[in-house]
Formats: sequence, structure tokens, C-alpha cells
Amino acid sequence: MKEEEYTCIVCPRSCLGKLIIEDDGTMKTEGFSCKNGERYAIDEHTDPKRVLTTTVKIEGALFPLLPVVSSEAISFSKLKDCLKYLYQIKVKTPVREGDVLVDDILDTGVSILAARTML
Amino acid sequence: MIEKKVDCVVIGGGPAGLAAAIEADKQGLDTLIIERDVTLGGILQQCIHDGFGLDRFKKRMTGGQYAQRFIDVIKERKINVLLNTMVLDITPSKEIYASSPDEGMLHINAKSIILAMGCRERTRSQVLIYGDRPAGVLTAGAVQRYINMEGYLPGKKAVILGSGDIGLIMARRMTLEGIKVEGVYEIMHRQNGLTRNVVQCLKDYNIPLHLGTTVKSIHDKKRIHSVTVVEVDKNLKEIPGTERDIDCDLLVLSVGLIPENELSEKAQIEIDPVTKGPIVDSDMMTSIPGIFAAGNVATVFDLVDYVSQSGEIAARGAAKYVKHPKEENIETIDVHPGNNVAFVFPQKIRKKMESETFPIFMRVKNEACNVATYLEQGGNKIKIKKHLIVKPPEMIREILKTNQLDLSSDLTIHAGE
Amino acid sequence: MEQAINEFYNQVKRTCGDEVAEHVQIEIDKRNVVKLTGEVHTWQDVVDIGHIAGRLSGTKGVVNSIKTPEFQKMPNDYPAAEKTGREKGIIGKYDIVIIGGGITGASIARTLSKYNKSIVVLEKKNDVCEGASKANNGMIHSGYDSKTGSLKQRMCVKGNAMYTQWSKELDFKFNRCGSFVVAFDEEDEEYLNQFYERGKANGVPGIEILDGDEARKIEPLISPEVTKALWTPSAGYIETYEVVLALMENAIDNGVKLMTETEVAAIDTESQKATQVITNKGVIQAGCVINAAGIYADDIAEMVDDRFYTLHNRRGTLVLMDRKKRSFSPKCFVGTAPKNFTKGGGPMTTPDGNPFWGPSAIEVANKEDVGVSPQDIQFVMEKGKHLSPGINEKDIIRFFSGARPANYIEDFIIEPSEKIDNFIHVAGIQSPGVASAPAVGEYTEQIYLNLFPNTKRKENWNPIRKKQKPFRECTQEERDQLIKEDPKYGHIICRCETVTEAEIIRAIHGKVPATTVDAVKRRTRAGMGRCQAGFCGPRVVEILARELGVDSLEITKNGGDSRILVSKSRKEPEK
Repeated sequence: MKEEEYTCIVCPRSCLGKLIIEDDGTMKTEGFSCKNGERYAIDEHTDPKRVLTTTVKIEGALFPLLPVVSSEAISFSKLKDCLKYLYQIKVKTPVREGDVLVDDILDTGVSILAARTML
Repeated sequence: MIEKKVDCVVIGGGPAGLAAAIEADKQGLDTLIIERDVTLGGILQQCIHDGFGLDRFKKRMTGGQYAQRFIDVIKERKINVLLNTMVLDITPSKEIYASSPDEGMLHINAKSIILAMGCRERTRSQVLIYGDRPAGVLTAGAVQRYINMEGYLPGKKAVILGSGDIGLIMARRMTLEGIKVEGVYEIMHRQNGLTRNVVQCLKDYNIPLHLGTTVKSIHDKKRIHSVTVVEVDKNLKEIPGTERDIDCDLLVLSVGLIPENELSEKAQIEIDPVTKGPIVDSDMMTSIPGIFAAGNVATVFDLVDYVSQSGEIAARGAAKYVKHPKEENIETIDVHPGNNVAFVFPQKIRKKMESETFPIFMRVKNEACNVATYLEQGGNKIKIKKHLIVKPPEMIREILKTNQLDLSSDLTIHAGE
Repeated sequence: MEQAINEFYNQVKRTCGDEVAEHVQIEIDKRNVVKLTGEVHTWQDVVDIGHIAGRLSGTKGVVNSIKTPEFQKMPNDYPAAEKTGREKGIIGKYDIVIIGGGITGASIARTLSKYNKSIVVLEKKNDVCEGASKANNGMIHSGYDSKTGSLKQRMCVKGNAMYTQWSKELDFKFNRCGSFVVAFDEEDEEYLNQFYERGKANGVPGIEILDGDEARKIEPLISPEVTKALWTPSAGYIETYEVVLALMENAIDNGVKLMTETEVAAIDTESQKATQVITNKGVIQAGCVINAAGIYADDIAEMVDDRFYTLHNRRGTLVLMDRKKRSFSPKCFVGTAPKNFTKGGGPMTTPDGNPFWGPSAIEVANKEDVGVSPQDIQFVMEKGKHLSPGINEKDIIRFFSGARPANYIEDFIIEPSEKIDNFIHVAGIQSPGVASAPAVGEYTEQIYLNLFPNTKRKENWNPIRKKQKPFRECTQEERDQLIKEDPKYGHIICRCETVTEAEIIRAIHGKVPATTVDAVKRRTRAGMGRCQAGFCGPRVVEILARELGVDSLEITKNGGDSRILVSKSRKEPEK
């Protein structure tokens, strides 16, 4: 049996809980105050995911960078490659908040959206 | 000089000002936002990370997305906005002088004013770091602006002083942009920012957090080459012999925020020495009738959702005031911080409350588990809410029911017995 | 001479110990220049021994080459700069070459600009007023403090009186508010009497000793425990870089050329005359060389083989407080009796209303060392809090240090060289250098005229220099008018000090151009306020880049290596 500690990051409560992995592979949690925390601990163990936020180059706006955000959390192991990809692209105005800039980035099934309107 | 008469002038177009202006407009006031930057959004323009809006919109958004929600409404409702315009003076009689490149000097007679100028960062001298004064020492906010908005890196190897949220967020941001973050140093013996930021920003990237350690001095003359850190004891005095030199070409200071008080002081508004912002009542009205304060200019909040809420309360207060400006001596009771409470905001509650509920914000002095907040009046204690854990960096919002209160005497808020 | 040498060793033994005395060698030449060599343990010993030599009667100057294990010699790049300069060849020819762009060099340049002579000022840093002139508290001393009969005394008292006219002609703020030295007990009062006698002998106008109550009538913030006070109404304040800029701008208006980032590496001489000055930018032919090079004046003197003094860094720290504590700060300078060798220092208020404390005084070996140590701050704060309760560490918005060019005979050295016919020394100008500047300018002028008696005046010399009223001091109507004339006045860049984009642009393209963040700061005050450039910093960098036609990456804090930004965050994307 293995025990791992996780601090849930879904909301500011930041519950500190445990994930118990039995020898047969079943998992259960202790110490989280809601289902979000339980799910978080299991996800962190199996395949940690993070929401990706960064900037991409933009032409024609007041500033040279446009903030972008992933539509969902992306597998942590793929973050670096996604960033590398995004650092290469350049978009043009007008861009509206919510516009899809990259559909299904690097086969993750996640889209990259504009996080701000820049006209 | 351009003369204007406006029902409600909102100074600052960030999350407090935007929310306030929309609410003021909904309340039927002729409203004007005066914003010194070229676009609306305030500090949210450079906050590209997520975590905003969970409370208000039940969605995890980036700073820019959160701001965009309000900016879109401002456009739809055609609320007046003056960009690139800086308010230079406010008088106690609610006259505003502002300068704008397009319009020249503006002289505005406002029936009501909502101060929403936000806060500024504490700087190096205020934090007494010795040594040289080279280039390469920047506050976290300035680094954030350079990286997120202008596309420049102010260094290649950084040391961060201060474990507040901005420092933690920038640790991650800099790492993702290719800057090596050697470590985050925090003089206190506990972390200052939200736990989830320590996890997402430091642990994810193996950036060490050194508590009880501070930056003692900076070297060299022209551009920073290294810093000397030193450990401190529980009284924050240096422990001799624990000095260590660290090579770096960027020192990021994330050592605290202070409400932006220049205009408040010009208007001779009474300031609370603890929050460092104006003393306000439950309508967010300051000591000067008709001048209100919302957001970080009143006290530094953690959640932008609360900031916007305070803006809306101020706007409703302004609307009430504009309808009945002659109402003198609005009576209030004082709210005092009690056990383990550092401060309470607002600091006063009106005796005549119109809403059924209203929020009260507070910070605890020390971390505690399984505590309940109480309000005490004339010897009576009423439990407000139970908390699994309370921490100083995490502001608490309690919703109080008006009918629970005896609005004739002062009340004290406690966290724990 | 033997007597002098014996006396020297006796004093060294008394002050530093027998062992130290054994490792020091002294030589006195026929001009009574004392040369010291050897090696001792600490820098403080080096300085103390130098002073002992300086106090020997009849000493003309002290050349102190004593080393310590840590500090052997100041590193310099003169040979490399000289090679580069000679390769570049002759780039100019001037009747007068002034080395040093501090208050002394600027005063001399402006004073000599009334003559029909071509003049160039060579400044090795990237802006004027970067040496000792930059980091002092701007006090215009009355002169009671200088040794009677010294050059310092004559220059200070005369210079002090000339500031009124200077401030009118050159349009800078000068606050002649007077100065107190206060006594808390009889021991202090004895000092006051000594100062009074000396002040009278020095010709300080209006000096008197007041009792505590009379003093408090003039300056209500003087502590109730003060028994007596020495009052010198002629003392006052300026903002030093403002004066240096004003002097330089007026000099430039009258034909003087300023070359910054120009370091003198060597001086060629022939038949006892300096012929040309070799700088990193090239060779400049010179009719006369005036050495006003601050803490490096001894190096310059060495270049013409006429070094008879050594300058060492007596570092002083100044602490600036938030303007909102103005009411706690005395409007006159209030000092206490300096019970030891170092200069008093104490609380004062800048012309802009900020409480300003210091300076401290610490001997450091490295001439370039202008760091701030905890001891500096402690000294300044203790002294200040004693005299100005109500202000404390929380009010500090900025602190900085400067290197005083102290020499061992503790007096100014302003004289024509005895070896080179067209070389004038203007060295060792530490306190009261700023107060003395107008008189030093005139004194040097006289020396020059004695060397070059056929010098003729210009017909159209204009001593008046006008400064545009800063936006923050304008009325709302004046502001409106300015914005209508130039919309960039409507764009406020520095919120704390109310500085407009138009003023920043004007500073960048001014007569003494501001090409760095610090230079813009000094001319406009952008970045000097409460938030210390937290808000305006990135915007000032952007404006500098735009106006100078370079990328933001090239903008520096104060020249040299001090770039603000290191790289762009993204490479250009593939096409």
C-alpha cells in the first residue's frame, strides 16, 4: 500500500489530503472536503493536468502580445511542447476573447483560446 | 479648460471601477470612468494566469477574460470612458482636475466619486536592502508588465524576494519564458501567498521556497551580478554566519502592496492606519460625504471577485447619495477587530441598512484550524460561520444578516474564542 | 625634515602601534611633498597614517601609496583607452580642456565661457554630476566649519554669498533658510563657542549664539532640551544636480562643448607644456588643461607627472524620506556638535519638501565603492531620530551613497602646476565643495587669466539661463494651456511626481541630453516619488527607446553595463 499527499488547487481552501493506493491498484482518498479534491488527487497521481496560460505574438494591436488560455487542463507532460509550439505562431487583429486560435493542440483534444479582445 | 458635471465619476478602470461603473449606470446615474492607461482593465491586463472569477462567474478565468466580461458590458451600455487621462487633484468639495492629451485639462464637478485606483507595490528602500543600486532590480508587477505585455525579459537568472501571490505567479511565468528562477525567499517563517500558488508555481517547477530568509544586500554597481541572502530568527533578526551569495542578473521584489493613496490624501479623506486605505462604511462611503472607495484602494484584497463586489456596493451607495445628498450625519456603528482578527472592512456599518444581507471582509492574524467567526455586541456572541482553516494571506468574506444585528451599538468580530 | 620624520613615526606608533610603524616608509621631497609607501593591515590605518603626514607642519601634499593585503591598487583601463584614443587620432582642438563634469568643472566652464576661448568639458560617465556632486545633500554651508585661513574657508564664505545671484541668473531653487548647531549640555556649548569664534574669524555673516528659546522662535521643531544654538543665517540648500545642469546648459549656450563618456587616459607634454589630451574617444589638442576630475584628480595629475596629493574615498550615505513627513522636518538645517573627526550631518528638508538625512562618513579603499551598508543607515537614522523625532525607518523611500574626494591635507588644492605651465589643479573638492563652487570658478578664472593675460571677453556673453516651469508647479489654467500647445503635456507618465511625457521628451533632447533612465529621472523627477518608478519605469524606457531610435533593449539605467532589459521574449516566428 502506498500513500501520497496532495494539496488540492481547485479552490482557495487548498485542502491537504491523502491518496491511498492499495496493492491491487484501487485508490481512495482521505481529508478532502469535496469531490473536486478527491478527483484532483486521483488525476494528479495518474496524469497531472494544468490549465495553460501564456501569450502569443500579435500584429496590429496596441501591444505586441495576446494572452491565451487552454480550454481545459492539459497533461503536464505535454505543456513544454505546447508552449514551444505557441511561441512560434503569430496572429493578426482583430481577435475577440474566446476565439479559437489553435484547435486540438498537439493531439491533446484541447483548444487554445484568445483570453482578451484586441482589435 | 473643459468643464463637466457628472453624477458619478469612477476613478480607475480596473475590476473595482468597471463593476462600480456598470452598477452606477444600472442605478440610473450619469457615469464617467477616468482611466490613466490606454485601455480598460487595470492590472488585470497583465494578469494572464487563471484563477479569477470562481466566486462570481463560477468559472475559472484569466485576469484578461474576467476584465473582458465587464469591458463588453461597458461598451454595450455605452458608458462614458476617458482613457489616457490622469486625475491630478480631487478637492473635498468633489471637484476633479484631470489631464488628457486629447482634451487638455478637465475640471469636473462630480455629485459623487468612486475611488478605484488600486494599489502599488512596495519598493526596495522601504524594505531596507543594502549594497549597490544597479539595474536589474524590479518589482514583480513591473516584471509582469515587461514579460506579459511588452515582450521583454529583464534577466536570465532570477531571485525572487517575497512569497506573496505575485511573486509566486511570476516564478512560474518567468520559468515558462526561459528565465531560470533560482529560488523564492520569504523573510517570514510562513508562506505569504495562496497554497495553490505554491503548488502550481513552485512545486511544479522545482523552485525552492526558503522561509525565514531574506535578501541582505545587492552587488554590483552597474547591473546586478549577485545577492547575499541571510536567515532570520523568529524576531526577524539576522542570524550571523548564515549569509550566502547567489549569482543572478535579476532580483524581483514581491514584498507587499499598499493602497494608492495620493488622491485620497489630497481630498483629505481619513485613512485607516492598518489597511492603509480610507475608512469606509457599509456603503463604501469615506469620511467625505459623496466620496466612496472600492477595491484595492480601500484595502488590498485577494480575490478579484470581492473587489468587484465592493465596487457594486459603492455604486449603490453613490446612487443613494446622489438621490439624497443633503442627508447629514449618516449614523454608523463601528466594527472592531477582535480575537485573532487583524482588521475588518468596512470599518463602519450604517445604522439604517436597506439590504437584508451585506458582506464583511477580514483577515486573521494567525493561522488556525477549526475555528468559527463570531460577532459580539453588548456581551452577546453570535456565531457567523465555521471554518476548517483560516490563514492571514486568505481574506475571509462573511455575509451578515441585517436582522441579526443590533444596529445601535458597536460590534466586534472574532475569529475563534 | 628629520624632526618632521621623527614626529611622524611617533604619531604613527601612538595611533596605529609599533608594528604598523615598522612597515611604513616616508620620504619628503624638496617641495615638501610627503611620499608614503609600505603595507599595513587595514584601510583605516592607511587613512590615519595619511592624515598624520598631512598634519605635519609645512606639508604641501601627501602621496599615499601604502597598500593593504586586500587592497593593492585601484584597477584602471588607462593603457587600453590610451591605445584606442591614439588610434582614433585627433578629434578636436580647444583652448581650454576641463576634465570633469561635476559642480566644479561646470562652474569653471560657465565662468570661463565669458571669454573668447574654445572650451570643452570632458566627462567620463554618461551624464554630468555623476561623482561626488551627485550624492551630496546640497547644503550651502556658511563656512564656520572650515579651518581659518584655509582655501576651503575663503571659497566657502565667498561662494555662499554668490549663490543668490547664481540662483537668479541660472533659475534654480535656492533656499537660504539658515542653519543651527544645537547644544544639549555644557560640553556641547563649549563646541558652539569654538565654532562661533572660528566663524567670526572666517567672516561668516550674521553668525551668533542664541539661547534655546530664541532658537525655537526661529525653528519651532528644535528640541525643548536644547540649551543653546549656533545660528548662521547665511546657510541654505539647493538640489545639486539642478545647479550642475543649469551651469552646463548656460555654458553650452555660451559656446562650451560637453563630451560625455569621454575618459582621459593620458596627457602628452612637451617642454613643460601640456599639448594634447588622449581620451578613449580620440586625441584632443589643448591650449590649457584644467583638472577638475573629482576623486580621480590625482590620476590626472599623475599623467603630467605632477602628482603631489592622493584622494581617498570618504563615503557618505544619505537617506530620503516621504514628503508627507515634511511637517516633522525642520526647515533650517539642524546639526549637533561633531564630537569627532567626521563632519556633522543631520536632518534637513529638500527644496521639494522631502526630509533628507545624513550624510554618514566611512573610509573605503575602492574609489568606485558607493554601496550602502547597515552601519551607514544606522548612523544616519540614529542621528536623525535624535533631532527629528516623529520620522523613522518606515518613512524611508530611498537611500544612496557618494564618494567624497578627501585628501590628506584636508583643504582644496587650486593652483597652477609648478611643473607644467598650462595645467591647473582643482582637486580635493569635497565638502564644502558645492557651497564653494561659485568662488572656485572665479578663483580658477583668475589663475587662468594670470597664465593667459591676453584673454579677451566675448561681446555677447549671456549669463541668463531660464528653466521651464514644471507641469506639477503650474496652475490648472497654465496646465490647460500647455496641453493645448502640445498634447504630450496631457499624458502623465510619472504619477507620484506628476511628470508629463512632454517634459521627458524635452529632457531627452535637451542641451545636456538625457539618454538613460537615471538622467531622465534627475531632470524631470520621474521615478523619484513614493513608488520609485514602479509605475513609470517601463513607460520611461519605452519613451527613451522611441526618442533615441533604438530598441528598448539598449536603454540603460545609467550608462555602461546597466541595461534594464536583457532580451526579447520571443524569437521572430518562422515565415
